[in-house]
Amino acid sequence: MPKQILSFTVNDEPVETLVQPYVTLLDALREDLGLTGPKEGCGTGDCGACTVHVDGQPVASCLMLAMQARGRSVRTIEGLAHAGVLHPLQDAFVRLGVPQCGFCIPGVLMAAAAVLAEHPRPTEEDIRYGIAGNLCRCTGYTKMVAAITEAAGSLT
Amino acid sequence: MSTVMKTTRDVRGVGLSIPRPDGPEKVTGHVQYVADIKLKGLLHAKLLRSPHAHARIVSIDVSRARALPGVRAVLTAADIPELKRKAPTRAHAVLAIDRVVFSGQPVAAVAADELAIAEEALDLIDVKYEVLPASVDPLQSLKPGAPPVADAGTEADASEALAHSAVAMAKSDDAPPKAVNVTQTANVKRGDVAKGFAESDVIVEKTYRVPMVHQGYLEPHAVLAEWDTTGQLTLWASTQGSFNTRAEVADVLGLEENRIKVIPVECGGGFGGKIRALCEPITALLARATRRPVRYVMTRREELEAGMPAPQVIIRLKTGAKRDGTLMALEAETVLESGAFSGTVLAVSSVFLGSLYKWPAFDIKGSEVLTHKPSVAAYRAPVAPQTIFAIDSQMEQMARALGVDSTDFRARHLSRPGDPMVNNQPWASNGAFEVLEKAAAHPMWKKRAEWKASGGNGHGLRGTGIALGGWLGGLQPTSATVKLNTDGTLAVLTGQVDIAGTNISLAQIAASAYGVDIEKVKITTGDTDVAPMTGLSAGSKTIYTVGVAVMQAAQDARRQTLEIAAGELEAAMQDLEIVDGRVVVRGMPDKGVTLASIGKKGNLYMSKVPPVIGVGHPAFTQQAPAFAAQLARIEVDPDTGEVKIHDFVIVQDVGHAINPLACEGQMQGGAVQSLGIALTEILDYDD
Repeated sequence: MPKQILSFTVNDEPVETLVQPYVTLLDALREDLGLTGPKEGCGTGDCGACTVHVDGQPVASCLMLAMQARGRSVRTIEGLAHAGVLHPLQDAFVRLGVPQCGFCIPGVLMAAAAVLAEHPRPTEEDIRYGIAGNLCRCTGYTKMVAAITEAAGSLT
Repeated sequence: MSTVMKTTRDVRGVGLSIPRPDGPEKVTGHVQYVADIKLKGLLHAKLLRSPHAHARIVSIDVSRARALPGVRAVLTAADIPELKRKAPTRAHAVLAIDRVVFSGQPVAAVAADELAIAEEALDLIDVKYEVLPASVDPLQSLKPGAPPVADAGTEADASEALAHSAVAMAKSDDAPPKAVNVTQTANVKRGDVAKGFAESDVIVEKTYRVPMVHQGYLEPHAVLAEWDTTGQLTLWASTQGSFNTRAEVADVLGLEENRIKVIPVECGGGFGGKIRALCEPITALLARATRRPVRYVMTRREELEAGMPAPQVIIRLKTGAKRDGTLMALEAETVLESGAFSGTVLAVSSVFLGSLYKWPAFDIKGSEVLTHKPSVAAYRAPVAPQTIFAIDSQMEQMARALGVDSTDFRARHLSRPGDPMVNNQPWASNGAFEVLEKAAAHPMWKKRAEWKASGGNGHGLRGTGIALGGWLGGLQPTSATVKLNTDGTLAVLTGQVDIAGTNISLAQIAASAYGVDIEKVKITTGDTDVAPMTGLSAGSKTIYTVGVAVMQAAQDARRQTLEIAAGELEAAMQDLEIVDGRVVVRGMPDKGVTLASIGKKGNLYMSKVPPVIGVGHPAFTQQAPAFAAQLARIEVDPDTGEVKIHDFVIVQDVGHAINPLACEGQMQGGAVQSLGIALTEILDYDD
């Protein structure tokens, strides 16, 4: 199949790349653009490790074709910190010792960032619902919820 | 300058909740896992897997796959001279030779320029199977006449038991297995069980089943292999132990360990499922065949079909007691479903069943049974969670049958340090009694009657559960080095795979043992070429064993440092201490030399001062059992059976918490995973 031109915005930078039409957004980000922060944990949209933002909304990038992102704005975990300063969510995750193996963390953080965008003062239920699509096997989620709660406080 | 005198006792080290230093790398997505690593000329691998649980391979035709543009290699068993029948372990069964023994077993392997091409090539491989009857249920499989799983004459695999240094069975009355799929048996006895039951007033007999479950680490198995022109193999692996992986791969491929370098890349979770080699050998063989770097990443489906899950465990228990609660006898029969290859740790089950409580008489039988399913591995300790579930539930049932408080009943009969285990070794020091006592004193347990009474009336049925369990603690020799840098900072080196955040704890130990603040310590996980021999990140023993190696190495480095300083200061070593980065004479803070100057002299041209390098390389004989008691406040919907957990308490004996922040995370994560096993997870097979 001939490759197609994909023009979109990734982490605030305009990007143009050639992709196979059957390639997922996750593979295009990881293999073509070298953004390996988003992870493939399942490839079926169940684990949330591949979560990125498309036009501000959290999506499972393993379920979206790269060409569907044409003309849209994508943000990955690599674009969450700003000018070398950790996002309050990232800072809270580090301080509270959330990451263990760390594989789920990029997806969880992007889901959490979406929660905070929608609910600047989220309840515990908002947070748990917001990251319900993200599996973590190391942490039991307790510290995650605490860290997101703390980050929400520092943002307001 | 600080006016507080710092000694090895008050540096910033052991006991502090310090976030792991690689945290920023993990939260920014910069940490590299195997699937994130790209090498020049990288090829992608896929494996063709059997769709049948048991079948004879009649023929394999790979000619169309080999002809596909972009395909660089297609391998079958016929292309691999190292392959032997009667594979003793899963790793040795690189590709099926003439028979597949579980659904998902690799039959052929492809390396191609792109993953999509490799996938397409799989569709072009033509395998003709003659489907054979399969043994899917372990209780059927252990019967004579069941469809055989292993080739006749295959030896049982006890290497997992060695890897965990689990308790060896001192007195095991092993009968030779008769049934074709029974690969290991164990029988331990003490006293007169028949008499014990005859004299019992209450006898409870129950069977406990824990299903096969997958560890569910978020990162699927992944490996990247590359050979250089001199025949050196480098493996970037997602493993819980690089030295174990190297040894297994060397054995499978018939290579000297000196020709293999295993780089333990960040491991995205293991929980026991990434101890044994799995896809490393085939990836190495594809790289050898193509003379290119090859990366293989399992899909989630492959993980679930052909990973190394936890075994199904079926335990029948019969226990007897007098009316006054005196324990009389225990009879147990354990069936461990090992999947298509031997390798469960049968002894662990016997030890926990018979040793946790003081039975005057017991007869414990165990069998490892093969079935046509993927072979199994540990999951938060091999066989222990499943066995503990059975014996702890049985004690609860006994207490109910006797009409006594179940925590009192457990406490009354719990083995205490020094009491004999079933193998007659004495129980090591442990906190089983203390954690049970703490849990029993918790308000959630004290108020269980109120919680129960609040059920119904629009709510579900409510109850509070208590459980007590533990693990004997693994042991494995290990080593570490601590070097003094030329600016007075310390470099700690081990081969320890840091999954859970153990490196920060090890660095804290080094800081305290040497006498500098944690900020001065850098710890590195080296590959198998550069790191000193290091054990697995498994068996709940990383800090207990590697921590000792690091401590001894830091003490050794401190001794060397003080020795050098003693010469320079013309003082006795015992009069010296390390304060704020300087070695000073105790009580004379102005008389001292900086650690930096000592470090510098170790690298100064024409200097006669040797570099400071401390080494620790301990072996261990004393296990450190770890116990936990847990409380669960739950609500059950009587119509649907849905269980809702309202609250959960973990009381765990972690020993001295080197880094409380990391300990909490471990406790929370372990508890939630166990809830998954209890309530929601199963690898379910039909016939």
